[in-house]
Amino acid sequence: MLAIRFHGRGGQGAKTASRIVGTAAFLEGFVAQDSPIYGAERRGAPVAAFTRMAKAPIRERGIIAHPDVVVVADASLMGDPAAKVLEGVDGKTILFVNSPMSAEQLSAQISARGHLTTLNLTEIALQRMGKRGAISALLGAVAGRLVGLRQESIHEAIARELAELGLAASVIEQNQDAAKYCYEAVPVVALESRARQTVPVALHIPAYESPTRGTAGITVGPNSGIRSVGGWRTFRPVLRPDLCNGCWLCFANCPEGAITIKPDGRPAIYYPHCKGCLDCVEVCPTDALTVERETEATSKT
Amino acid sequence: MNWEPPLFQDLHQIPREEHVFPGAPLCAGCGGLESLRLASKVLGPHVVYVNAAGCFTNLATFPFTPLDASWLYTTMGSAPAGAQGVRDALDVLIAKGRLPKEEDVTVVVLGGDGSTYDMALSSTSGAITRKLDFYYFCYDNEAYGNTGVQLSPSTPYGAKTTTSPCAVQRPVGATQEKKDIFEIWRAHNPPYVATVSPRFPLDLEEKFVRAANYRGPRLFLGFAACPTGWLFDPAHTPDVARLAVECGLWPLKEAVNGEVVHTHFPKLSPVEDYLKLQGRFRHLFEPIVQKEAIAHIQDRVNTYWERVKQTEQKS
Repeated sequence: MLAIRFHGRGGQGAKTASRIVGTAAFLEGFVAQDSPIYGAERRGAPVAAFTRMAKAPIRERGIIAHPDVVVVADASLMGDPAAKVLEGVDGKTILFVNSPMSAEQLSAQISARGHLTTLNLTEIALQRMGKRGAISALLGAVAGRLVGLRQESIHEAIARELAELGLAASVIEQNQDAAKYCYEAVPVVALESRARQTVPVALHIPAYESPTRGTAGITVGPNSGIRSVGGWRTFRPVLRPDLCNGCWLCFANCPEGAITIKPDGRPAIYYPHCKGCLDCVEVCPTDALTVERETEATSKT
Repeated sequence: MNWEPPLFQDLHQIPREEHVFPGAPLCAGCGGLESLRLASKVLGPHVVYVNAAGCFTNLATFPFTPLDASWLYTTMGSAPAGAQGVRDALDVLIAKGRLPKEEDVTVVVLGGDGSTYDMALSSTSGAITRKLDFYYFCYDNEAYGNTGVQLSPSTPYGAKTTTSPCAVQRPVGATQEKKDIFEIWRAHNPPYVATVSPRFPLDLEEKFVRAANYRGPRLFLGFAACPTGWLFDPAHTPDVARLAVECGLWPLKEAVNGEVVHTHFPKLSPVEDYLKLQGRFRHLFEPIVQKEAIAHIQDRVNTYWERVKQTEQKS
């Protein structure tokens, strides 16, 4: 059995990618299983999805703790402890990261065991599909290639899965073309077969307080701001103060309140509170707000 | 038009103080959060939010809260009943002298459209009939969003949800018409009912300021463009919200003591402009254009505004 784990941000297509690989495996005669996991936090928040494929019926269920392949849709997830990208990754795991860096450059930054391989999927999506959006087909193609599925079955699986999402035929075709490109471009690492080990998982039973204590109350003021949501972004708005006319439209329309007004009446973006929805860019009448791709360099600020 | 000269004429009048702080785990580009943040700037910090289960459940995920106000969580069907309890408790405390009158707080119900149009309708009806002194704020994203976008009574004709897919039997998706909750509320004769859209922030702020002049039930229907459920890029939230108003699908209006006044007369762009932006209506355009369905949506908009022009421009 091969176990593939996808990590992405809600809206990037990790779940659909897991379905594409599952369907492609099924088309090739494998037994396949795919499922996503996400909490209450959705679009922009860390999401994982799982695909298992085997020649025999699959008895294993639930999350994949010891993956053969890990596909990471967003390099910023590597630094997010909540995403648990590297959990269960050992020396034999293939780790794919969507990043503009080469495998050597990236491995110098992260201390991950396993075989690292990279490809700049976001750039490919921008060039071949011309928009920011889900890269599920590309992730699926990469994962399919890494586990040795055929290009034709990926092609067909993309058509089936994206049609189910109600995407237009022309968009599906674009996705298939971009996916084919990725399928051929991804540096392949030899997949080592190994025996599956089953590890008993200890259940964490939460410690409930005695009912006589009553319910816990929050008596502090608004404290959600201490959590950074900056990691949700794949793109960020950037303000050019020289072009800003001080109209406050961005301030009024930011759903988060991440844009504040400085004492001089001009807006400022506080990045740890910005989820990257880019509504401000859309409403800006003077093009003072532009879009920049979130990279390893910018995500630190 | 008898919409009095608004207090809010310039975006720079929007208060800088925040009362809904960043960091809530709602989706990026949430139109409902956008409305709530603007509304809270007028409502202020002395508020108890009574939150019906829904997307706004995510506002306060223990131990974090984005609100500098109190927050009480209820089931989907009982938020107005919860508000009644809070209001009564406050009244009793004040009557007994245990709470100084100046420390009184405003009770605000937050409900999604699943709660508002569907499960909590009887509870709301009861609260309005009892003349409960509260605000009701509905963030209307036209589906049960938090559970994965299922059909709600607010889902408009032609929209695709997970329980109203574009199918051979029903190629248009949802075949129902959006329930007119504004008129249902108005029929109860509360002092103030209004629709708002965050893309019209001055109109929104103005209405919350005006509502403060009344006692009793004050109900707001907020347009909540939903990138996740309506399948569009979060960056288009403002466009979708603007076009909903400008195409005439989301009339901005208020009803003071039952008398309806439209606060914005849109230029009535073709509804296609609005529909085309969203994935939930894509099946109306591809692979074949469902002309009849689009014409049906346009007809209803036209009929609505014809009637508005006849009734309101007489005065």
